[in-house]
Amino acid sequence: MGKSQIKNNIRTLRFFNDEMTQKELAEKVGVTRQTIIALEQQKYSPSLELAFRIAHAFGVSLDEVFSYESEDASD
Amino acid sequence: MTFQQKNITVTLVNFLLILGFYLIRVTQLILIESFTLDKIIGVWVTVVVMAIVVTIIGTILTHIISTIIEVIKTGNEEPEVESIQDERDELIDLKGTRVTNTVYSFSVLLAMLTFALGQPALVMFTLLILCGIIAQIAGDIFRLRLYRKGF
Repeated sequence: MGKSQIKNNIRTLRFFNDEMTQKELAEKVGVTRQTIIALEQQKYSPSLELAFRIAHAFGVSLDEVFSYESEDASD
Repeated sequence: MTFQQKNITVTLVNFLLILGFYLIRVTQLILIESFTLDKIIGVWVTVVVMAIVVTIIGTILTHIISTIIEVIKTGNEEPEVESIQDERDELIDLKGTRVTNTVYSFSVLLAMLTFALGQPALVMFTLLILCGIIAQIAGDIFRLRLYRKGF
């Protein structure tokens, strides 16, 4: 099994949501600002519940926020 | 630095001080040739009580000092100190605990090995508490590393 990573567009989505601050997003989804920072820097993969909460905060579907990339993907 | 990181740093410093105290006390006992089971159990009790009391006081002081710094920085009399523990904090805490447990497991094995190799039980007890402190320090360092580098 190859190395995989979950990528996200949180920074972009914040920008298109009236430049929502990291603190505002953190309060909306119930985590600390440090967790939002770690997510944006791709240093942390959230739980499924948090991922849904973030997508809900932006009013978009989960796959518009997160995408899965695998190094050994052949397609 | 978040509240959790500050708290771990304070705990780490506390345990480093406790480690220093323990090593000095044990060295003193060996030098004055009163390295007996009674004395070692006395040091054990002191270390355990110190660890509990200092950790509680450390957490309270961290909260108070964080609030004071926040008031000075923002000028807000009711500052928001991010003391909530979210899923990332819990995950880091669990990973740190796993490191502590792993280090302590190997240490217990090492301590028992000294006993099996013919050393007195006193050496085993001394190593057990020493390794407990070192395991706690290792866990805290790992937690801080995860906060710094992410995972």
